[in-house]
Amino acid sequence: MHVIPQLIVSTLLLGGIYALIAVGLTLIFGVMRVVNFAHGEFLMLAMYVAFWAFSLLHFDPYLTLVVSLPLFFAAGWASYRVVMRPVIHASHNVQIFTTVGLSIALQNLALVLWTADARFVRTDYYAVVVRIGGAAFNVAQIVAFVVAVGFTAGLFAFMRWSYTGKVMRATAQDRQASALMGIDTDRVYAVTWAVGIVCVGAAGVLLAPIYPVYPTAGLQFVLIAYVAVVLGGLGDMVGALIAALVVAAVEVIGSYVIGTAWKEVLYLLLFIGILVVRPAGLFGQRGAEALGT
Amino acid sequence: MRNTKWAAVVGLVALALGVGAVQGQQQPSGEYKIGVLEPLTGNLAVQGKLHLEGYEIMRDLINSHFGGVMGKKLVLVSGDAVDPTAAASEATRLAAREGVKIITGTFSSTLCGAASEAASRQNVIYWETSCVDPRFTRRNLKNVFRTEIDGTGFGWYNVEFIAKHLAHRLGKKTNELKIAYLSEDSSYGQSVTESARQRAKQEFGMQEVGLEYYTFTTNDLTPIILKLKNANPDILHHIARDQDAILFWRQAREQNFQVKAVVHAGATGYGNPGFGKAFGNDANGPFALLEPGPGLIIEKFRPEGQRVERAFREAVKAKTGSDVLAGGHQLAGGGLWVLKLVLDAAKSDDLDKFRAAVMSLDLPVGSAVNGWGVKFDETGQNSNARVQHYMLQWQNGSLVTVWPEEFTTNRAKWIPLGPWDQRK
Repeated sequence: MHVIPQLIVSTLLLGGIYALIAVGLTLIFGVMRVVNFAHGEFLMLAMYVAFWAFSLLHFDPYLTLVVSLPLFFAAGWASYRVVMRPVIHASHNVQIFTTVGLSIALQNLALVLWTADARFVRTDYYAVVVRIGGAAFNVAQIVAFVVAVGFTAGLFAFMRWSYTGKVMRATAQDRQASALMGIDTDRVYAVTWAVGIVCVGAAGVLLAPIYPVYPTAGLQFVLIAYVAVVLGGLGDMVGALIAALVVAAVEVIGSYVIGTAWKEVLYLLLFIGILVVRPAGLFGQRGAEALGT
Repeated sequence: MRNTKWAAVVGLVALALGVGAVQGQQQPSGEYKIGVLEPLTGNLAVQGKLHLEGYEIMRDLINSHFGGVMGKKLVLVSGDAVDPTAAASEATRLAAREGVKIITGTFSSTLCGAASEAASRQNVIYWETSCVDPRFTRRNLKNVFRTEIDGTGFGWYNVEFIAKHLAHRLGKKTNELKIAYLSEDSSYGQSVTESARQRAKQEFGMQEVGLEYYTFTTNDLTPIILKLKNANPDILHHIARDQDAILFWRQAREQNFQVKAVVHAGATGYGNPGFGKAFGNDANGPFALLEPGPGLIIEKFRPEGQRVERAFREAVKAKTGSDVLAGGHQLAGGGLWVLKLVLDAAKSDDLDKFRAAVMSLDLPVGSAVNGWGVKFDETGQNSNARVQHYMLQWQNGSLVTVWPEEFTTNRAKWIPLGPWDQRK
């Protein structure tokens, strides 16, 4: 039995999935200071996009990923314009109610349209497994992990070195000063929201060959993504990636050593413990939640 | 000419009487209304609507072929039990506003407790046909009855199948069998698993080599599979919800987890058609305890059971176009049929008379829909041994009935389960 290599591989692959979801969430929070409670529902919708593209058009999920990125950007842009823009300067309470409302609406829309049945994208290669050193690697999970690292690195580079990224960071630091410098903050928020939705959309498509999709599918991932975002430091993409791996390690190793029933207790205890010691998270900037307001 | 007309009239009357005689029932006169509570919106709506359809099909059958209930036309009035709060308020509404004396429902174990408590406060009979929470009939409520077995009954049947069918197919005595238990952690999963553990150990001396509970929304079951590989059981007793069965099966294959048989109970998880849709022929092998599926030999039922089973299947096919009955149809239709038998015997919905009729009803296996028999205990629970259940197995993309063998044309395959790519 090669238990330890397998536990390490499972940690990396599961952590990659959590990171993929967390990175869009932390981007939106980092720039807009909005906690998007509908993030899981966008994930679920993207999984349905992959499922229907596969079932009706016989599109491989990785083809769908490429084709659908502009679609997710457009959906993100539209949802910002229609739902978020009117409340972007409102209090956090109003924003929370808005995103929770959006979450419930999207969940029920999916329920009405596609019922509560769990559906699964069964590609020809869904059972293909790479075995190295006694550990089994699922191909779809490897792809998800690689894309997660790529997205995190890409977003990090985009935010640090691109002009738009600098504008977004400037807006995050001080919204009013940015406006005075001639930055169209409304446009920055729209782009940020749309890019965040692209990230979670990509995550949804990549998850479709791994997990079944149903109207509440997003919930089981997004709670852990919230933990990773806060643990890594609100708005910190690399922090979210590392925190996602930490949460996955606690979940996988804790499940094996202590018991699966304890996994949530374990990572939430770790979460509370780290916040007691470092309230801004592992890599977060102290007071980040108050920036730009 | 006049004689010819009279002859025609007499002939028509005789024909009408003859049809009645063939059906053996008087046409119902007047109406008798009962309440039906099901989740018709929300996450449970798919199953709730199937149950409601099952009640409606059986209602129409009872009225058209079996003389209604207590000689009256049966009428249903429905309520939407989307969650426990709504279940309680709708039960109250059906009793107080609609004036029903009997409420039936509610599919989910999360709903039946709240709905029946509310019905009890209104002094209304609560006739449950499908929720399996064992606590439902353990509250000393005299107005509560359940036609379906509870979660402990599922565990009882699973061990019956393992001990009396799988053991000899595996060439082992029951006390040589190594069994591991895996279950999602709801009251349903726990009640089935704990009753199976108890019976397997106490009655058959099976060797328990693993026990693990998990939340059904878990994202990775690999650690559990690694533990199961270490335990090396002959049989995996796995009670799954839905998506967790799909995740487990995929990851078990990735980890090349070999077990000789996988046994489940209920219409969730491996008993859900979605499992077959997810995997096609790769789903081959697992067993699920359910109502009878394809392969059932109806001729093995008693004559009265055959008659109502055939009529019900024809009615379902006329309504849905399908020869394969959904579990929701079978549970609701089967439960409503037993209610009709009780009401016809009691001739009243007075609780004392109704309860006396319930307790005196004693029908052997094969007497009713699904091949059920009837014998309620003092708690209001129909007995495990009478509510005949069937083991179905995934074979080439379909769930087919494989046990008890006297009731089916199909036979269980892949015992023991071979390598993953050879279960064709």
